[in-house]
Amino acid sequence: MKLNVDGKSHEVDVEDDMPLLWVLRDELGITGVKYGCGIAQCGACTVHVDGVAVRSCQLAAGDVDGDITTIAGLGSPDALHAVQAAWVEHQVAQCGYCQSGQIMQAASFLDLNTAPTDDQIDEAMSGNLCRCGTYPRIRAAVKTAAAKLQGA
Amino acid sequence: MGRLKTIARRSFLIGSAAIVGGVAFGAYLVKRDPENPLSLDAAAGDAVFNPWVKINADGITLIAPHADLGQGAASMQAMLIAEELDVELDQIITSYGRPAATYYNTALAAEAVPFRSNDEGFAAETMRSTMGAVMKVLGAQVTGGSTSVPDSFDKLREAGAVARETLKAAAAAETGLDVSQLKTERAAVVLPDGTRMNYTELAARAAQMDPVTEVNLRDPAQWRLIGKPLQRIDILAKSTGTQTYSIDLKVEGMVHASVRMNPRKGAPMLGFDASAAEGMRGVSQIIGLPYGVAVVADNTWRAFRALEEIEIDWDVAPYPAEQDQHWAEVAASFVPERLDKEWRNDGDVDAALDGAEVFEAEYRAPYVAHQPLEPLSAIVKVSDGRVDIWASHQLPRFVQQRVAAKLDMETDQIHLHNQHAGGSFGHRLEFDNIDVTVDVARELPDTPVKLTFRREEDFAQDYNRQIGMARGRGTHANGQVTTLDLDIATVSASRSQSGRLGAPVPGPDTQIAAGAWNMRYAVPNLRVRAYAVPELAPTSSWRSVGASTAGFFAESFLDELIHAAGADPMSERLRLVNDPDARAVLEAVAEMSNWGSPLGPRKGRGVALVTSFGVPVAEVVEVTDTDDGIKIDRVWLAAEVGRVVDPVNFENVVAGGVIWGLGHAMNSEITYSDGRAEQDNYHLAEGMRLHQCPVIEVRALENNPNIRGIGEPPVPPAAPALANAIFAATGIRLREMPFFKTVSFV
Amino acid sequence: MKQLAALMVVLAPLSAQADGLAAWDRIYAVASHPRCTNCHVGDSGRPAWDGLGYGAARPHGMNIVAGESRIGAETIPCRVCHIGAAGPNAVPHAAPQIDEAWRLPPVELAWRGKSSGDVCGQLRNPDANDGFDLAGLVEHVQQSAFVRYGFNPGAGRVPAPGSVDDLARDLQLWAAAGSPCVGD
Repeated sequence: MKLNVDGKSHEVDVEDDMPLLWVLRDELGITGVKYGCGIAQCGACTVHVDGVAVRSCQLAAGDVDGDITTIAGLGSPDALHAVQAAWVEHQVAQCGYCQSGQIMQAASFLDLNTAPTDDQIDEAMSGNLCRCGTYPRIRAAVKTAAAKLQGA
Repeated sequence: MGRLKTIARRSFLIGSAAIVGGVAFGAYLVKRDPENPLSLDAAAGDAVFNPWVKINADGITLIAPHADLGQGAASMQAMLIAEELDVELDQIITSYGRPAATYYNTALAAEAVPFRSNDEGFAAETMRSTMGAVMKVLGAQVTGGSTSVPDSFDKLREAGAVARETLKAAAAAETGLDVSQLKTERAAVVLPDGTRMNYTELAARAAQMDPVTEVNLRDPAQWRLIGKPLQRIDILAKSTGTQTYSIDLKVEGMVHASVRMNPRKGAPMLGFDASAAEGMRGVSQIIGLPYGVAVVADNTWRAFRALEEIEIDWDVAPYPAEQDQHWAEVAASFVPERLDKEWRNDGDVDAALDGAEVFEAEYRAPYVAHQPLEPLSAIVKVSDGRVDIWASHQLPRFVQQRVAAKLDMETDQIHLHNQHAGGSFGHRLEFDNIDVTVDVARELPDTPVKLTFRREEDFAQDYNRQIGMARGRGTHANGQVTTLDLDIATVSASRSQSGRLGAPVPGPDTQIAAGAWNMRYAVPNLRVRAYAVPELAPTSSWRSVGASTAGFFAESFLDELIHAAGADPMSERLRLVNDPDARAVLEAVAEMSNWGSPLGPRKGRGVALVTSFGVPVAEVVEVTDTDDGIKIDRVWLAAEVGRVVDPVNFENVVAGGVIWGLGHAMNSEITYSDGRAEQDNYHLAEGMRLHQCPVIEVRALENNPNIRGIGEPPVPPAAPALANAIFAATGIRLREMPFFKTVSFV
Repeated sequence: MKQLAALMVVLAPLSAQADGLAAWDRIYAVASHPRCTNCHVGDSGRPAWDGLGYGAARPHGMNIVAGESRIGAETIPCRVCHIGAAGPNAVPHAAPQIDEAWRLPPVELAWRGKSSGDVCGQLRNPDANDGFDLAGLVEHVQQSAFVRYGFNPGAGRVPAPGSVDDLARDLQLWAAAGSPCVGD
């Protein structure tokens, strides 16, 4: 089957029910997308399909119906997305393992809701688990990113 | 400064003469120093300045032997070296180096000695240095016990200073100038006329010289980096998905694998039927192991899926099958024959309790899993005469020794390439991922095998925090707490863990009553006794170890006694506290939280003070009893840490410790049924989520001359401060973790 | 016999009404089941996690609020986890997926915590049930992926009692009896 990932087209030969997560990680070598729980509990595998966040551990390859963006397609160290820049500014990460998913979730959220309230930030971001406990900085970074995106 | 000079004088050259193109330095207290591990890899033209600094024409490498588990250890270690070496963090790369005895951890040994960390008496000092020598002999390169900062603080700055002075000497020899005319900045020696001689150019010359070992460390007032807000060296990678963890690595020719081990931890497998999995797409091998079955495939998910199709007959658990039996064993342990140690006995507790009106309470703390977000994995390649291992581990030398013993090879044939970890919290002190992957890889010689645990397997195979109970008896008079008698019974995580390492810890387990017996209070009659419950399910170090349970018991029971006495929880603690550092942190949180100011309806504040790893930490928690459950509004924390090396990261790690302590106290436990852990993924052991996270305000006090690590000490006061706050808000006293068994949370 | 026949004519509506009410009781057993009430919630927009097959009943974890949009568009769309494609739903606690866009029903169809009489009143009133007349309701029940899922949620989740066919038949019975409610 054909998958469009981060602007590149890939032909992959996988079972229809292989989760997109494992197509990306093991077939395409895109490892910014993380395996955490496999059951939509942690959000570490979050990617975008046509710009909307999706837990890639839940999406079977055969059900992909749009263009996929991973953390690598969102921005790069040389060209940061506003959300990534806010994550750097607030030095959010500790171990960093959940942060790809957090950032993808936040980017999708701020795309849908450009002026979120504090309560809405808490609603949008509570599906992403962070075992190190970087939540205070995630909150702050989402606010900074929202302000920056609004100004943009 | 006097103390630092003394250390510098004691340092001397280590094993440098034989190194081709390299020199080495170090600060050691024992005469025969371990070899310089960098010399083993050094090529001609490399200046290997010491075990921590390597400079060649290509650049400057700083070796950060403490694994970065997320706590920012790599940044911190680089900062210490760079401060004295006069390089900027963007001019260097960091590496874990190869596992080596040289990187042994002196600070952890100090914490293992059973003296209160504020006890500077002769006996305590002697014991600590003895343990230091023991660690050295063991070659224990350990990341744990919040020791990365204290272990590194002098050693690494000195390493930087020695390298700097030697580079200056090389420049002096080259130019004929006197060393006193030379300055250093941004990785270069600067001549009086402004000419810059880069370190990388001077390396070859420096390598041929005797290193300068008489160095003075800089006055803190001159520091450019230490204590300043800097950008973590890994922050860009961790914000762009470009940080690579061991689970992400790809090695040429690699195959994927996964495993199911007996969920009755430690018991063997009796047999299996893999017929349904054979021939599944991508599956190349199904390997029966003494303890389970591994599947090798061309994709991790295909290995996972095949494992689900295999029928396996498991042997029974080597410990009681049902949770009730575990609790019964703990409850039966408050008997003289299981007394591990009476840690403290002030006044006359028995006389004080005799005939008095005694307040009694019993507390429980469950098994809890570590479950960092990166599941366990490893890549192992077994070749003729050489084994390569890519994984993240807190005990790299033990990994080498263990694999060498398993394969009947020499330690130096085992090459561990240590990796950044996606969290640990104590999880990466264990060896299951290494052992299993080696067992599979030896069946596929010359093929790198990447073995990944499913999350469910990671839960099933976790070595959990110790289970335990405490029984308190106390008295009060005239509004004051007069007697506190606390018996604590837990399984010994230290013995469980060290037993698996083949190096059982002698004497009493310092951790069973850690955080309780050393409470910095002058209660007139105060006794703390530790009882060791015989091994049940295997346990291990869980962020803050013994203090995570004993601190909860001690500060909950004290709070109950204070309420029984009709006193204010903060004022009575301040009246009882008998140590200036502990008093200072209590006073700080009282001021920060505006303790005593009126609160709205259904709100409450709770306080707790626990000292662990030498760090007294006071926390005040404020909660509201809402219609949707308990909401944790705010937390104030003060800690005495000696010195903050990296303030940006400090605040992050401290807040994370509070969140760790609160989250698991709220909703996480592991229980056993049919010999298996009943919780197999995060939905059953959730921890804190973002919407539950309070506003956290952190203050570091820097009064004490001893620098301390901060990864663990914020954890123990969190649970009792929360329980005490919930009591203040609702009148419900929580004596058992997790609290969600009794109250609900938003 | 004549008398008896007359009596039957008189009793027929009564009997039909009794059957209708019995059918309604069965309908309400479904409508008040966690498989329905987890999402048939009011303007809080907060779904629930009752009847998961483990643990206590509780609000949907992760602080999920579907908002006025009822699909979470303001914060986190349902579809982030609940994929809109038929799935085996074989893994306990993984997000259930069906061949439909996962969402909350309209707020006027809030059934959670409501009595039999209240839900009954809502269902027979097109103004309060998303515009369905009774025939439309039957057709909806027969075709909805949500309803199908409710009877076969998989992986230990507690299924709603009965089947799609039972529910459709009961709705027809209830409708034929004049859609009676308790206390009419």
